[in-house]
Amino acid sequence: MSVGLRYEAAAVGYDAAVVSGATFEARPGEIVGLIGPNGAGKTTLVRAVTGGARIFAGAVAVGERAVGSYSRTELARLVAVLPQTAPSSFAFTAKQFVEMGRHAHVSRFGDLGPLDHAAVDRALALTDTGSLAGRRVDELSGGDLQRLTLAQALAQDPSVLLLDEPTSHLDLNHRLQVLDVVRSLADGGLAVLAVFHDLDMAARYSDRLVVIAAGGVAVQGSPEQVLTRQTLADVFGVAAVIGTDPVTGTAQVLPVVRSEATTVAARGVRVHVVSGSGTGAAIMRRLVLEGFEVSTGALSADDTDGAVAGALGLPMQEIAPFASMTAQDEAAARALAHIADVTVAVATPYGPENLGNLRAVADRAGKTVLVGTMTDDMDFSRGEATALWRGLTDAGAAVCSDPRDLVRCIEEVLAR
Amino acid sequence: MGRTGTKRAAFVLLMLMAALGVVCVAGAAFGAVPVAAADVLGAVGATLRGAQLTPPQALVMNLRLPRVALAALVGACLAAAGVLYQALFRNALADPYILGVSSGAGLGAALTFAAGGTGAAVLWAPPLAAFAGALATILLVAALATRRGVMETLSLLLAGVAVSYTLAALTSFVLVVRREQMSRIVFWMMGGLQGATWQQVGIVAVMLGAGLAVALVYARELNIMLLGDERAGELGVNVERVKRIILAAASLVVSAAVSVSGLIGFVGLMTPHAARLVLGPDHRLLLPASVISGAIVMVLADLVARVALAPVELPVGIVTALAGGPVFLWLLIRQQRGASL
Repeated sequence: MSVGLRYEAAAVGYDAAVVSGATFEARPGEIVGLIGPNGAGKTTLVRAVTGGARIFAGAVAVGERAVGSYSRTELARLVAVLPQTAPSSFAFTAKQFVEMGRHAHVSRFGDLGPLDHAAVDRALALTDTGSLAGRRVDELSGGDLQRLTLAQALAQDPSVLLLDEPTSHLDLNHRLQVLDVVRSLADGGLAVLAVFHDLDMAARYSDRLVVIAAGGVAVQGSPEQVLTRQTLADVFGVAAVIGTDPVTGTAQVLPVVRSEATTVAARGVRVHVVSGSGTGAAIMRRLVLEGFEVSTGALSADDTDGAVAGALGLPMQEIAPFASMTAQDEAAARALAHIADVTVAVATPYGPENLGNLRAVADRAGKTVLVGTMTDDMDFSRGEATALWRGLTDAGAAVCSDPRDLVRCIEEVLAR
Repeated sequence: MGRTGTKRAAFVLLMLMAALGVVCVAGAAFGAVPVAAADVLGAVGATLRGAQLTPPQALVMNLRLPRVALAALVGACLAAAGVLYQALFRNALADPYILGVSSGAGLGAALTFAAGGTGAAVLWAPPLAAFAGALATILLVAALATRRGVMETLSLLLAGVAVSYTLAALTSFVLVVRREQMSRIVFWMMGGLQGATWQQVGIVAVMLGAGLAVALVYARELNIMLLGDERAGELGVNVERVKRIILAAASLVVSAAVSVSGLIGFVGLMTPHAARLVLGPDHRLLLPASVISGAIVMVLADLVARVALAPVELPVGIVTALAGGPVFLWLLIRQQRGASL
C-alpha cells in the first residue's frame, strides 16, 4: 500500500470547470482534509477521481497513472469512496451490502472466496457493524447505514479512501469511532482525502488541510497554518476565535459573527466596553450587530473577551497574558473610553490586571451604563473596584440590570 | 451468497421446478378433450422410445405439449425481461408491456407477417424483426424519460404509454394495408398460443437461453446497480456497458415471446415482483426464480384461457390482463407510499 492520490493543476466540474488549477496530494499514511464553503467544489474534486465529475485540464492521478487510464475494476481495487448521499432503500441484508464492496476482487464467473469473506468480516469489525449483519439495509438508521457504507468501502481493501462528509449522519460517539478507524487505517499506510464541514473535526483528524474557495485552492498546510482568523474571514466570511482544543491540543474554531452581519446599519455611535473573563463577549457581539462602533481593553488575547474583540477586529489595548496593567495600558484605555460616546462597564472580577480599565472610565459617570451588580466576591483589589463602582453609581451612571435592555439603556444615556 | 443462502436458493429453485412440472402435466391433460396424466407421461415416454403413439398420446405430443411448452417459455421470457427492466430502471413498475417494448416488438413482428415469405424466413424473420423493434423502443423510451441523467418513474411510465400507443397505431395501420392477413395478425396480437409448433418452441428456447445466460453472468452487477449508477461505478461496475448488455438481453427475450404469442401483459410485472417480495432482491436467485415462476403463471393462464369458456378459447392475454391489472394498481399505490424495491 504505497499508492497516493495527486491533483496536478486539475480543473474539474460538470458542464464547466467548478475548480481550476488545484494542486495537492494525499500521500500514503496521511489524512488530508478538504474544507471550504458550500458549493466551492470539494465534492466535485472527490467525484472526479471515480468519474462522477469531468476533468477538464491538468491531471488527477492515483499512484503514477491518471485516473482515466484505469478500468473501472482496477480503480475500484485501489480507490474506495464513502459518498455523501445515502443509497436508495432496498432489501439486501447488511452483510450482502458490505459484500458488494468485494465486487472488483471477484472474477466474473466466481463467487466470494475465503479472502473476500475475511475482508468483509474485517470491515464489519472495524466499523463495529457486525451486529447489524443480518438486518435489512432499508430498515437501518441513517447513521448505521453510513457506517455500513464505510464498511462496504473498506471491504474494497483500498489504498486510497475518499470520504465525503464521513460523519454527517453520526452521533458524537460514532463520529469519533469512524474517524478513529480512518485515522488508524491512515497510520497503517492508507491515503485519505476527506471532505469536512466540521472544522474542529477537520483540524483534529487531518494531517493537512486544503481550503477550496473561489474556484481554486485558497490555502493549504497544517491545520494550525490554515485555520487562522484571516482564512476564516476570507473564505467563510465569519469572524471567529481560533482557540486550542483543551483535550487534543488541535485548533478549535469558535465562530463569533458572520462578516456580512457586521456591515449593516452603522449608527455612528462609539461604545467603549469595560469587561473581562467573557462577561463582555456577548455584549460586544450584540453591539457590533446593532451597528455600534465598539472598542475595549485593555485585555489580554487569552481572555475570552480579548479573543472575541480580536475576532471582531475591535480597537483594543492588548496586554500580555497574566500581566498587570501598566500606567501606559491605563492611559491607552482612557483614550479609547474618552473618544467614545458611551462607555459600558460590566460587573466582573476586578484585580490588578484589569482594575485600570474601571479607573479609566471613573470620571465619565454621566456617559456610563453599568451592567450587572458588583458583589464583594468580585473584588480582588482590596475594595478599590467596589469603591469605583459605587462612585459611578452615585455620580449618576445608568444601571442596566438586564443585559437584554442594553441598547435601550445606551440610547437613554445618549439622550441625556 | 453465503452457504446457507446457496442451500436456500437451491431448495427454492428445485421446488419451483417441481411445481412447473406438475403444472405442465396438468396443462397437457386438461382441455376440450381431457387426457389422463398417465397418457401425458406415456406420450413423452413413447416419443423418446420412438414407439407408435396412441390417439390421445398423439393429441398430447402434437397439440397440447408444444402449446404448454411454448406457454412456459413465453412466461419465462416475459418474467426474465421484467426482472431485468425493473433492475435497470430501479423501478418495480417497469415491465416490457408497460414500457412499450412489447408493442415495439409487436410492430416488428407484424411487419414480417404482413410481408409474408416462405421457408426459414417465415420462421426466423418475426423474432428478429421483433428484436429490432424492441431494442429501438426501449432506447427511445429511456431517452424520453431521462432529464439531466435522471429517470423519473412518472416520465418513464408516460413515455412508455405514449410510445406504446404510437406503435400500436402503426401496427393497426399495417393491418389495414394488408387486409388479407388481418385475422391472423389480430389473433396473434391479442395474445394467444393457438397453433403452437415444436419449431416455435425451439426458436423461443434458443433466444431465452441466450438472453438468460448473459443476464445471469451479470447478476451480481444488477444487485450492485440497485445502489445507483454512480455508487455501482465506484464499486467497480462498468455501468454503461452492463446497461447496454442487459437491455439487449431483455429485448431479446421479449421479442422471442412477442413474436410467437403477441402482446401479453402483466406477467413480466407481477411475477418478478411477487418473487422479490418473497425471496428478496438478490438477482442470483431472483432471476431464475422469476423465470420459472413466469413459466408456471403462463401455463396456468393458458389453461384457464382454454377451459374457462370451452369450447370457445380466450386469448391468453385477456386472462393475464384481467388478473394483472388490479395487481398493477396495488403496486402503484404501494410505490407512492414509498415502499422500497
